[in-house]
Order: sequence, then structure tokens, then C-alpha cells
Amino acid sequence: MIYIAEVDGLEFPVEILDEHHIRFGKDILEVDLAAVSGQPLYSLIVNGESFEGYVYPAEGGWQVLLLGRSYSVIIEDEREKRLRTSEAGPASPGREFTLRAPMPGLAVAVLVSEGQQVEKGQILVILESMKMQNELRAPYAGTVARLRIKAGESVQQKQILLNLAASALNIT
Amino acid sequence: MFKKILIANRGEIAVRILRACRELGIKTVAVYSEADRQALHVRYADEAYFLGPSPARESYLCGDKIIDIARKCAADAIHPGYGFLAERADFATDCKDAGLVFIGPKASSIAAMGDKAVARSTLAKARVTVVPGTEGEGPLRDDELLAFAPKIGFPLIIKAVSGGGGKGMRDVRNLEEMPDLIRSARREAESSFGDGNVYLEKMVEGARHIEFQIMADQFGNVIHLGERECSIQRRHQKLIEESPSPLLANDEALRQRMGAVAVQAARAVDYANAGTIEFLVDKDRNFYFLEMNTRLQVEHPVTETVTGMDIVAEQIRVAFGLQLSRKQEDIRWRGAAIECRINAEDPYNGFLPSSGRITLTQPPTGPGVRIDTGVYAGFDISPYYDPLISKMIVWGETRSQAVIRMRRALEEYKIVGVRTNIPFHQTMMDTYPFITGKYDTRFVEEQFSMLDAAENRELYLDIAALMATMVAHVQMEHRAQVYGQPGQESMWKWVSRRLRLNR
Repeated sequence: MIYIAEVDGLEFPVEILDEHHIRFGKDILEVDLAAVSGQPLYSLIVNGESFEGYVYPAEGGWQVLLLGRSYSVIIEDEREKRLRTSEAGPASPGREFTLRAPMPGLAVAVLVSEGQQVEKGQILVILESMKMQNELRAPYAGTVARLRIKAGESVQQKQILLNLAASALNIT
Repeated sequence: MFKKILIANRGEIAVRILRACRELGIKTVAVYSEADRQALHVRYADEAYFLGPSPARESYLCGDKIIDIARKCAADAIHPGYGFLAERADFATDCKDAGLVFIGPKASSIAAMGDKAVARSTLAKARVTVVPGTEGEGPLRDDELLAFAPKIGFPLIIKAVSGGGGKGMRDVRNLEEMPDLIRSARREAESSFGDGNVYLEKMVEGARHIEFQIMADQFGNVIHLGERECSIQRRHQKLIEESPSPLLANDEALRQRMGAVAVQAARAVDYANAGTIEFLVDKDRNFYFLEMNTRLQVEHPVTETVTGMDIVAEQIRVAFGLQLSRKQEDIRWRGAAIECRINAEDPYNGFLPSSGRITLTQPPTGPGVRIDTGVYAGFDISPYYDPLISKMIVWGETRSQAVIRMRRALEEYKIVGVRTNIPFHQTMMDTYPFITGKYDTRFVEEQFSMLDAAENRELYLDIAALMATMVAHVQMEHRAQVYGQPGQESMWKWVSRRLRLNR
């Protein structure tokens, strides 16, 4: 199986040969991966070099926390990638962002209404949790498509608070 | 000595106090909320009693219930820790009336220092320099605050009269944004302290936050245990504390002066027990009284580490009525200590709190490392209380050695299940202004960036790519599996077997 891993705009082809061998670019690496106590904490030995890192699934890919630095990695298998690049064309407009509660808490203030235009970085909702008020902001400019909470409501972690449709100008 | 002490707190500080009691041979009583049934402080104590539902208002803030429990189990004294009831003068009075010793200062000292506005005017009268603001004005309405603001000048800070821990505080750059900020500060103060009163204080720019640890007995002996530098903060929440302060390390004269003023401030309110005088020091090394915390501080281990004094044990001793175990001239400082507060906050996502179950925790050990914590693998970080997971304190013969040791310890520390600010601390330990000790209270918010600092770090793009791909591969294969169970044997063995089949 061949995968393409993209980190910081760089692409790395990774071919899994067997349990302990990986073709990485031109090299064949001897590898050993072990999950520590069944946790998303991994010990990886590559040609005798030992690394330890956290690997979490993140929006659209994976996040790797390694030696005090966080990396976003997007992984596709080769066929997927061929398929996607042959489709070509611009990304679909009307990209929608779903604001979810990052933690359980109390929505102390909802500062926008449905249909409202918002700027990038504008505060949408103030959520109180762990005795702190946290300002949840718009990741880009857009329109509040659906508002799903009211001020004063308690919310669960990952509960959808609102949907934000990106302004056409934002689409890159 | 006391026979039995009730600890009216939770988390790491409850465990810390339990440990001091154990070493003094005193029986311990824990109290707990619904969320904390399995917490360490409950399990470590000799006795434990249920308080109420998880929200602090219905449990750890119920002074009456706590006093009732203390009387029923025949405790002699109550240690309030920090936060919750620690700075409530009425609670200290109620303890006394119930025949219980409150391990802390007298109710009158708490009251004098607890209302930050009153404290500032008391000390201004005792000729201690305070940061200019609305001291001596009493409670002010919104329109009065707005009228007063231009006299103080911008930037300024709105602060809660009953404040602490950065809650109910807002930085104000101009008059236009002020009404909204007053409203949000009052709202936060009201929900945190049940008191929406606020006051104004000039923002001292380029300032360092340096505080002095005070220890006083009931015979009028007051000493200081030196300073703690607490300028590494975000939204007025301290993140890293150290002693000695890099600023005072080569200015013994200033340290002496500040220490003397700290002792004088404590005397001004007839102080007994442990307390902390907070100062701001400006660019020209002028220092101003900020506030006094009439309780044990989160960061007390930094001082314990350089002085060798057990501050909690000393608190218990002086509350019992003994004299201070040391005189000012007996206090010696050795080496350098740094504390990192490990919070359940994601530094890659605006420091948003992260709650959930800690599934694995592997704290660092080895020379010069101390961890104070209340969590363990299987513990749920709940949204009801503050996000502090643990405090990691290191000691070094020199500050440089302490920084290097902290780097090593942070690398060893593994916490899985919730996001933590460990990467923030790792980045900070590699940042030039921190390494050289040249930073102020605005550093984290105005100059620090996880990305910029990471630039200097060696990149492991290839290893990150490899690790993520291998994990993704195992998981994808695992999910796609429709036949055969890998069971307990290695997943890799199973994956490679499938690969051979597919070929």
C-alpha cells in the first residue's frame, strides 16, 4: 500500500512493505511502531533511532505532537490522490464552517444572529467553562447560516453552536 | 499540636496539605463533591465526607456544611487551601465562632486585604506606593468609572474588588471600548465571586510581576521568604513562576527594599500566617504594591524549593500558636527554582480548556523534579473546576541548570486524554527572552508565538509523516477488517498477513 503524507506543504510517499519495512522516498527503512499502553502515544523506532509522539485524528487529517512541536499531516492513499487531482477545477464555493463547543459549558453570550455577516476573528459566542469565559471567533468572514443555541443554554462538548457560510471572496 | 485537620479544598492543593498533615502526624479529613468521589484527596485522607453536587456553589463554597462536618468529626482546624473559601473573612469568623481554628490570617486581616480597593487605600495611607487608580473612592457605578478613567489615563485595567486568579479583569485601551469591558468584567466577577464590584488601575507598561512570600506568627514576628517572579502570564493567569527573579538576582539592594516593604504591608493589617505581597516593578525599577493574597499561593513550592522551608507545615504550626521556626537572618536561598503550571488547555487552539478523561499520565522523575498533582490515569477533568492538572517544579544550582532541567522534565511528561499546555512550556523554555530572563507581564500575549519560537526547533517533518502514516494505516486496516479478528496478537502481524493475501 502506498500513501502520500503531506506535512507543511511537503509530500512524502510512504510505501508499507511489511510489518517492519517501509519504502520512504528512495530508502527502505526498518521500523517498529508500538502504542504505549494502548494509548494514542506512540513509540517509533526507525533504523535504531527512537522517537515518541502523540498522534491524534484532527480535522481532515492527523495531528502529530513530536518533541514539543505540532505537525498537521494529511494522508491519502495513492489512488485517492490520483482521483482527486484528475478531477481538477476550483474548490467548491459555499464552504461551510460548523462551530462546535470545544468543551462543555454555559453559553453566556451569543453575539450574532442568523443571517448576520461576520468578519474574520469576530467573536461569535462566549462560552464559560472551568471558571473562564472563552471567546469563540469566526475562522473567516462569512454569514451566520444557522444559529442553534441561545444565550444562557448549557452545551455539551462538540455540540453544534452555529453554522457559518464563507463569503465567496474567501474561497481560495 | 492539632489532632485532626479538615481540608476544605480539592485537587492538587488538597493533596499538598494532606501530605503536610501526614508528616506532622495529624489526622486528615477530606470533603468532596459528586465529581470528586474518586479524587486523590478523598482516597489519601483518613476520613472523607460528601459535600454536595459538583458545582462549587453547591459543594466547596458551602461554608456552613463544611463547618458542620468539621464539628461532627471533631476536627480542631480547617485549612482552606487557595480559592474557594480561602479569602472569605466571614468563613474565617464562622470557623472561630464554631470553636475551630482557621489556618490562615485573622478575619480582620482578610477583610482589610480582601477588598482590593480597601487594601490599596490602607497601604497608600501606610505610605506604601500603590499603582495609581481609583483607590479610596469606594464602590463606583459605570458612569463614575467612565468619568474617572481619563484622569488615570489609558491603558488601564478593570479589576474585580473581590478578584483573584485573573477573573473579572479586563485591559482597556480607550474610552470607547470601556463600557462593554466593564459589563463583561462585572459579569465574570459576579459569577466567580458573587460580587460584581470593580475598580480601575493604571496599566504599568513593561512591568514585571514580582511577589514576596510572607510568614508571620501570632506574636508579631513577620519575615519574608524572598521573591517569586510571576511575569509569564496570559490573561492575568500565571503560567510560570520562578525564584529568584532574574531581575533581582543581581540587585540585592532592590530585593532588600521590596522585602522590607512587604513586611511593612503585612504589619499594616496585623497579619499572621502565610501571605503574599504582589508588586509591579516598572522599567526603571520603581515598584508598586499590587495586592496581598491572604492565603497559601499556587506557586508556593518555588519558595519551598529555594529556602527548604515547608510553608504548609509552618502555616499549621503558627495557626496552632507556635512561634515562627526561623528568624529573618536564618533564611537562606539556594540555587534557582522554576514552576510550570500544567493546565488542560490547548496552546495550538487559543488555549481553550480541554476536558475529558486522562487515560495515561507518566510524570517525569529523576534529580531535582517535584510534581504536585491531584490527577491520575482514569481521572476526569471536569468543566466545574479550574484547568490545573499539576505543577511541575524543578531546582537547579543555577537558573540555567534549572531551565535545562525543566526542558528535560517537560520532554518526559506524558499526559494523554486531554490536551495540555506542555508544548507551550517547551516552547517557552527555548525562547530567547525567557532564557535570558528579560521578559515582562505582556510578553506571552504580545510577543510570544508558538510558531515563531518553533522556527528554531529542529524539524522532524519526515518522522511526523512516517508516524502519522503508520498510525493511519493500522487504523484504516483495522476499520476495513470484515473477516477474522486480530484478537490479542499484534495488529501488524495481522496487517502484513492481509497484505500478503492481497498481493
